[in-house]
Amino acid sequence: MNSQPLLSVDNIETFYGETQALFGISLEVGHGEVVALLGPSGAGKTTTLRSILGLTPARKGRIYFNGKDITRKPTHKIARAGVSWVPDDRRIFPSLTVARNLKLGRKRSPFHSWKMKEIFEIFTALEYLMHRDCENLSGGEMQMVAIARALLGSPGLVLLDEPTQGLAPKIVQDVMKTIKRLKVEGISVLIVEQHAQLALEVSDRAYVIGRGEMKFAGSAEELLQAGHQRRVLLGM
Amino acid sequence: MTFEELVPHLLNGLSIGLLFALIALGFTLIVGVMEVINLAHGSLFALGAYLALAVYGYLEVSEFGFPTRSQYATALIVAPLGVAAVGMGIELGLRRTYGKDPLYGLLFTFGAALVLEEAIRQRWGPTERLLRAPADVSGFIELGDIFYFKYRIFASAFAVVLILLLWVLIEKTQLGAIIKAGAHDSEMVRALGINLPVLRMFVFGLGTALAGIAGIIMAPIWGVRPHMGVDAVIPAFLIVTIGGIGSFWGSVISGIMVGLTVGMVSAYATEWSILSIYILLIVVIFFRQRGLFGKASGLDK
Amino acid sequence: MTSLRSYSNDFTKMVFVFAFLATVPLWISSVGLYDYIAIEIIIWCIYAMGYNLALGYTGLPSFGHGAFFGIGAYAMAMYQVHEGGTSLWVGLLLSILAGAGAGGLSALFMSHRRGIYFALMTIAFGQVFWFVAIKKREYTNGEDGLLNLERLPVDFGIFSLDVSSNQSMYFLGLAFFMLVVLGLWTLIHSPFGYIIQSLKQNETRTWFLGYNVHLFKWISFTLSTAISGLAGGLFALTQRSAFPDVMSLHWSGIIVMMTIVGGGLVSFWGPVLGVMFYFIMRDFLGTYTSTWILWFGVSFMAVILFEPHGIAGLWMKISQRIFKMSPGHRLLPPERTLVPTPEPSNELV
Repeated sequence: MNSQPLLSVDNIETFYGETQALFGISLEVGHGEVVALLGPSGAGKTTTLRSILGLTPARKGRIYFNGKDITRKPTHKIARAGVSWVPDDRRIFPSLTVARNLKLGRKRSPFHSWKMKEIFEIFTALEYLMHRDCENLSGGEMQMVAIARALLGSPGLVLLDEPTQGLAPKIVQDVMKTIKRLKVEGISVLIVEQHAQLALEVSDRAYVIGRGEMKFAGSAEELLQAGHQRRVLLGM
Repeated sequence: MTFEELVPHLLNGLSIGLLFALIALGFTLIVGVMEVINLAHGSLFALGAYLALAVYGYLEVSEFGFPTRSQYATALIVAPLGVAAVGMGIELGLRRTYGKDPLYGLLFTFGAALVLEEAIRQRWGPTERLLRAPADVSGFIELGDIFYFKYRIFASAFAVVLILLLWVLIEKTQLGAIIKAGAHDSEMVRALGINLPVLRMFVFGLGTALAGIAGIIMAPIWGVRPHMGVDAVIPAFLIVTIGGIGSFWGSVISGIMVGLTVGMVSAYATEWSILSIYILLIVVIFFRQRGLFGKASGLDK
Repeated sequence: MTSLRSYSNDFTKMVFVFAFLATVPLWISSVGLYDYIAIEIIIWCIYAMGYNLALGYTGLPSFGHGAFFGIGAYAMAMYQVHEGGTSLWVGLLLSILAGAGAGGLSALFMSHRRGIYFALMTIAFGQVFWFVAIKKREYTNGEDGLLNLERLPVDFGIFSLDVSSNQSMYFLGLAFFMLVVLGLWTLIHSPFGYIIQSLKQNETRTWFLGYNVHLFKWISFTLSTAISGLAGGLFALTQRSAFPDVMSLHWSGIIVMMTIVGGGLVSFWGPVLGVMFYFIMRDFLGTYTSTWILWFGVSFMAVILFEPHGIAGLWMKISQRIFKMSPGHRLLPPERTLVPTPEPSNELV
């Protein structure tokens, strides 16, 4: 296993127009690690993901992925370097079938390529959805397609934004299982969640963001156990 | 007017409508993927016809004679490529206006339209020119009791084929899926590793090439003049407004409807038939809600 | 609010401009031009200043304004040819009313639209009017135009001034230019002016302030077409004829380009600068190459991409650096850009 972290975010400051959203955020994700990014809504979690992806590039600071500097690089190059994204609104293309949506995600990268067979193993129901139009999928189905699409991009790092949002408990369990499976395959995951409990159950480490600043960093166990500290930090 | 007398006008309307639909499809591709109203679309339509003239000149086709099939085919292939190149050049310039108010893009393409038209006027002169199709699609054909232009039937058939090919491209190929995805959500498409600037340039090239082809096909019907562009871009905008931005069949059906309207008007008041498009545009925009088929777009700002 | 000092600043500028323009006939031939061009310039300045009321101040992108200029020209021409008219005042009044009438009628359909849809409608109206001018030969004589017009004398009752010489026609044009400038300046610094500039920035906000935005857009557009009509009437007198070509999209485009290149989006005098730039290109560059208008169009495209505030904007930037002073006084925030303030973004952090 590589001693260098797979992803290293170093003191980034990000703005929306003239409004500053991130005031010096730093975090790391190691190879094969699942890391949670927690905090209340509006804290800057999604902005951090968008900065990593180059959709809302950081104005200051640096971001390194797999040994390369990806700060402010074009998004499609960052994606091709092995970063996949599952946004909180899934963003499946409604005018295409499931099969086409998945195919759009397929690309090669320095990391492990997934075969459709492997994808179907994880998402058993997906095989039957392939020719459906994406307009009428349920929330759980959409999430499944979004994650499968992300995996077909051969990621080394998957950015999951609120993966359990709006999903039924059974589907939530499926998502958790998937995340654990990714870890087994050696793929790193950065998971953004408002509902800390769930995220901490699958994560190795966690960061807590508040109002654009890093408030706390530690192992998931620490956070799960540090009772009142957790409550104060996360408002739970 | 008897029905028999009306039929040729309706057929004319149908053929113009199909060609309008072709122009509109190229136009809506660009609007869909880039939210840019390409006012230069009309000038590129004109450029198609003029580049075909240039190809004819190079192949030594006389202006009053008929080209051979292969000469025509050459023009039909080479000229749109030239148009696409110019179109992609315009897209390069447009890049600076992305993210700003769409009016900047509109102004830029407006300027491009005028510059193109002037360039055409400088190079080929202001008078009307002739662009002919091969002899075997010219002349008349008997349809029941009436004699009708062979060429218009050819033009309609060609347009139908092209429309279907375009449909196959958009609906059945990976490239088409990328274009649709890019029109819907440009951020997600980038996050999937697709090079958006290249996609946009390609779409601009494809859309403008379609306009160029339409210009060549229309030329034997409409004639070739430097300012023929306005009469192409306004119908395109009208059709896309009625049919809804991003709706393939919306554009086709609206195109045919607009064409038939022009045909009907020309049956009763020939001189004013082109004007009917402008009046229709005013009426449609005045009453416009969301078009018949499409959804709201960034143009609604 | 505007200080007294800024008013006097503006008046000084105006006086300088008027004085400068008044001297033009003295030196115009020494730069290789002649009086007729001076008249063209001053008339296009009137046209452009009126146009900018709609574009620069109210944010109405009109690509068909040539129609109203042409209608004004035809009003003067038809008054002479069909009515045998001999009064300058009546003729010009007809030009103004014709321009305003056509403009007001069009704006009835357009004033509840904005942006691209508005722009496309203006193109459509422009084409309709241009088409009518060409086809209704019984009124307009079609593409052959109405010819042999008289430059009607400036009749004040007690005495009258003959304007058949180019120099005197120029001064007539200059007189109207000064009137139009004064009128526009007053209008823009009046409550009406605040409202239209506010609605250009943000229509919704202006609605919420209680103003009937559609009405104000209609008034502003109609006033600008009235001025364009006046310019058209003067133009018909100058060239002693009226043709449909000024109503074409090509010529409507030229007024847009002049106004923006000059900096009409941010400056009161921008349109004048743009008109000057155009005529400099035409009469200096044009002596070397017939492609000069192509280059004018290209410079417009360059302005859109690199300096949308045009010549005036460039000047403001430079004078800011050189003189280290604020870029003049404006009623609203310094950046009077084409872009209205976007409605607040809903993007969540």
